[in-house]
Amino acid sequence: MTVEVMFLLFAVLLCFYVAWNIGANDVANAVGTSVGSGALSLKHAVYIAAIFEFCGAFFFGTNVSEMVESGIVNPDVFADNMQIFIIGMLASLLSTGVWLQIASYFGWPVSTTHTIVGAVLGFGLVVGGFHSIFWGNMGSIALSWVVSPILGGVVAYLIFSVIRKKILFQSDPIGAAKKVTPYLVFMVFFVLALIIFYGGLKNFDFELSLLQAVGLSVAVGVVAALISASLVRRIKVDVAPIDERKQNLQVFVGLKKAQKHLGRVEAAALGSLHDEACRLLKEVEELAATIEVSEYKVGSSEYRVVEKIFIYLQIITACCMAFAHGSNDVANAIGPLSAIINSLEGIEMVSTLSVTKWLLFLGGVGIVIGLATWGWRVIETVGKKITELTPSRGFTAGFAAAATIVLASKLGLPISTTHVLVGAVLGVGFARGFGAINLNTIRDIVISWLVTVPAGAIFSVLFFYIIKAVFL
Amino acid sequence: MQTLARLFGRSPFAPIQTHMSKVAACVKEAGPLFEALKNKDYSLVEQIAEKISKLEHDADLTKNDIRNHLPSGLFMPVARENLLDILVLQDNIADKVEDVSVLLTLRPLEIESNFEKPFLSFLNKNLEAFQEAHRIIEEFGELVESSFGGQEAEKVVKMVEKVAYKEHESDVLQHALLKIFFRDCDKMQYQTFYLWLKIIQMLAALSDESERLANRVRMILEVK
Repeated sequence: MTVEVMFLLFAVLLCFYVAWNIGANDVANAVGTSVGSGALSLKHAVYIAAIFEFCGAFFFGTNVSEMVESGIVNPDVFADNMQIFIIGMLASLLSTGVWLQIASYFGWPVSTTHTIVGAVLGFGLVVGGFHSIFWGNMGSIALSWVVSPILGGVVAYLIFSVIRKKILFQSDPIGAAKKVTPYLVFMVFFVLALIIFYGGLKNFDFELSLLQAVGLSVAVGVVAALISASLVRRIKVDVAPIDERKQNLQVFVGLKKAQKHLGRVEAAALGSLHDEACRLLKEVEELAATIEVSEYKVGSSEYRVVEKIFIYLQIITACCMAFAHGSNDVANAIGPLSAIINSLEGIEMVSTLSVTKWLLFLGGVGIVIGLATWGWRVIETVGKKITELTPSRGFTAGFAAAATIVLASKLGLPISTTHVLVGAVLGVGFARGFGAINLNTIRDIVISWLVTVPAGAIFSVLFFYIIKAVFL
Repeated sequence: MQTLARLFGRSPFAPIQTHMSKVAACVKEAGPLFEALKNKDYSLVEQIAEKISKLEHDADLTKNDIRNHLPSGLFMPVARENLLDILVLQDNIADKVEDVSVLLTLRPLEIESNFEKPFLSFLNKNLEAFQEAHRIIEEFGELVESSFGGQEAEKVVKMVEKVAYKEHESDVLQHALLKIFFRDCDKMQYQTFYLWLKIIQMLAALSDESERLANRVRMILEVK
């Protein structure tokens, strides 16, 4: 068994470990919000996550994988000594695995993406030197780490502001929700379809011009909107519709007038007429009281129906989130492995489509297995703790995050899906959507930025020298 | 994944509603308290006064618990100062009820026939003002859902106006009641007179604090 084959096996194992970790821990971000709001049962969440994570990874994971594999460290620098490069990638994978293990033991919020990027960067810097890093790409990546949560937040803020004004503030929120939902569905499908179609789906050798992509996306959006419109119409409203409430108001006003007049009669009348007037007055007062009570009760049940409508929207965004997450995070597992395989086969440092496809497949399978064995437990835990994410809020945060992540995947930028989702939740919070948000979590995220990247780099360099000493 | 779970802090709105219902339990005893006084059942008055004191203390514990769980890192749709003010105003109402109950135990008072009816309608008007304010606090769930604006906020504004009107009516009744007392003050001992004036003053504070509470809630709404 040559050294190379040992490296390969080790790399495959580590790749599987990282993929399993992504499925076990990170997928909860994608679908946990839907479980927390009650839009999906745990079982359905796991099924949806499995299907869409795999699709996202397999059909849309190429760009980010390529970035991690050959967009950070220039493999050509190691052209005369490929083994060094292979050991470096191996060390990066090992570093990620170890750091993830340490972090989960201590319960720290660590981003897989930041770790792997830090690890690759560390190896490249120390071993390959300053010039072996594509600083342009590295700058874009660092920028995306700051911009993506902000973008998610801004989009979430805008969408929730629209939902507030157009639905929650209206006098007939249920009717407004039914009217606005098709537009929201159109937006969701249009935005995601456009991001996916423009530039084509590389795995299918499909190229579309901007006009074609826009046209196709509009068509997809319209079809989805029409389907949603017919589904929403079917939702039963078990609450007094607005005409009945107007009638109640007229009845109430009339009763108040009757009370006034009966009061006069009671004051002026004598004997049996007085007793009769008293009795009537009491009856009218009781009637008025019952109508008053029902008028107050209308509000709460209406919002419940609005949330019920948003449950469908949130299920759609759960699918989108799982897809987006798979597309961006699968690269964390297979990026270095892909680099190793390519260099082992001695071909050019441009990944061939077929190799990448198989690796994406394996990465996707790893994620699904992680989800099925451990991830569902994490989803349940997260879901129980985030019940504040009612369907309307969950939809807003989920869609904003999903759109941002898919856009980043399209641009080949590895970002932290957790941080984007946190940014989106903050955006909704700014629009007064939540009861209370813990801003200390933001502090934790910034700390994790500062700690994780160096940690990944240090471990990666450490393991590189260890492995090199052992095998060379 | 833990990041997301830790992102949501404990929402203070439900605890504030809990505190208000504890204050309401206090205020509810005011009716039986004066009923017992009317029937000259002084041992029952003492009993109810003790019960009110316990309920007020229970409300205080809830209040402190809420204050302990409002760290500065918590980001809410309503400014922290407004929430703490609402809490203080709710607490004041419970305190006033307790003070009234203590006053009733200092001397064996009697509800004389010349001021019985005006006094009881004055008492009931103040209790009604509080009930309207209580209804406003019960709307917090819907207010959070509608993010403090729109039709729900308009509805709460109308409820606030109702509380303000009840407070005005209570002032009118208080004025009439005080006139009776000052007209007949020669017929009663000074100590009794003083105690009754104090009681009327404290009861009037019920509707005053309820109106202030309602206005505080009005301030956190987004109404055009």
